[in-house]
Amino acid sequence: MTRKLKQRLGRGLACMAPGVTLALTLAGCATAPPKSDTAAYQAYQEQNDPLEPTNRVFFKVNNTLDTYFMKPIAQGYTHVTTQGMRNHVGDFTSNIGEPARMLNFMAGGYPRDAGTSMLRFIINSTAGVGGFFDPASALGLKKTDTDFGLTLASWGAPPGPYLYLPFFGPSGARDFWNLPVQWFATPMEAAPESTALNDFGYSEMGIHLINTRAQLLGTIDQINATALDPYATFRSLYRQSRESQMQQIQANNKRTWPNWYPPQAQ
Amino acid sequence: MFLRRFVLGALASVPLLTALPGAAFALPPDQARAFIQQAGDRLVAIVNGPGSQSQKANALRDLVNQVVAVDQVGDYVLGRYINIATPEQKQQFHSLFRQLIAYNITYQIKAYQGVSFKVNGTAPQGNGVVVDTTVTAPDKQPADVGWVVEDVGGQPKIVDVIVAGTSLRITTRNDYAGVINDNGGRFAALLTAMQNQIDKIAAQSG
Repeated sequence: MTRKLKQRLGRGLACMAPGVTLALTLAGCATAPPKSDTAAYQAYQEQNDPLEPTNRVFFKVNNTLDTYFMKPIAQGYTHVTTQGMRNHVGDFTSNIGEPARMLNFMAGGYPRDAGTSMLRFIINSTAGVGGFFDPASALGLKKTDTDFGLTLASWGAPPGPYLYLPFFGPSGARDFWNLPVQWFATPMEAAPESTALNDFGYSEMGIHLINTRAQLLGTIDQINATALDPYATFRSLYRQSRESQMQQIQANNKRTWPNWYPPQAQ
Repeated sequence: MFLRRFVLGALASVPLLTALPGAAFALPPDQARAFIQQAGDRLVAIVNGPGSQSQKANALRDLVNQVVAVDQVGDYVLGRYINIATPEQKQQFHSLFRQLIAYNITYQIKAYQGVSFKVNGTAPQGNGVVVDTTVTAPDKQPADVGWVVEDVGGQPKIVDVIVAGTSLRITTRNDYAGVINDNGGRFAALLTAMQNQIDKIAAQSG
């Protein structure tokens, strides 16, 4: 187990090394406007994006990679699949992420959400034929998304400055820590080491990326076509969506006090 | 003495009473719901109906002008720059904003051929009501879209669209602020960028 962990850690770091090295060599900071220029200074503070010049470089890099690599693959994939198939693949990869979600909910102090995640994993892995179907939703156990970044948020960590990472895309000083955690937080990690399982893990990751990109084909094209500044638009969308995920987690974590128990004041 | 104070007080509050009917009242949720149902039906009829692309675009532009509080949304998008822009710049901004909205809608017509929608529930939000709908189009995942409806000048009007927890007017505000910021806080740069975008789209569709 320890050896496997080391191996996986080594591989994960190797994957991230080129990006991080590039980031460090290119690291440039935006110059803050003088405080006397109130409007400009306020805008700068609100953007909270001191690494913007570097971030924009990676935004370009990722867009180029996307144009010549991910997008054509996703288009080809859309060509040979139906929307129904893509939804089932989405259900499958989402189900594999459910145990990690449960752990994050537990760590974040959301027992109801954690219970929902656990039940979803059990129901969808069995009655949902290995996760390809989502009968749990029909039973009223709707999916709530989370990750380690949101767990840190529930511990009071502020989102911090915006980061646009090579390959991974929009992130932030807090959400960055999601990457190393996500690498290990799969059910495959708990199973004994085997080549087949490793291959399964990589193919699952690949199909997850392609399927997600395919579901976003129209949306991303639309943003690139209609936004004046797609970089600023994606930054805004990312922040709003994180905020909304956090609200969703809190809204779904309903208290389940027994009837006789005096309800806590909120 | 007391009587005089009472009478003066009563007189002083008269303008408050007369001002009340003009003030924006919270919109009844049912009215907002009916409004979205009606606007949505018209939108679906235009998108799926007969007619050329440009006829549909014109019909949609008219519909948007009727059901969306475009100027109010424009003011919101301007944000703090509303105090920085000159009156001429503001006027130019609103005109460009109207054109951009029209183009952005036209861009969607093709993608949403065969669209249908279902009105779900309503919830209060700020001064208005958010009406939740599910929009379904072929080859697309069904999307939950929330329409924020407010009372604007006595009429229900759409002031924002919310998709997956993201607000369209906030996103646009940040998008535009990004352009101004990258040009050293010059508001004129935004107007140029908007005009360039309109020219670009016109060249593509023309």
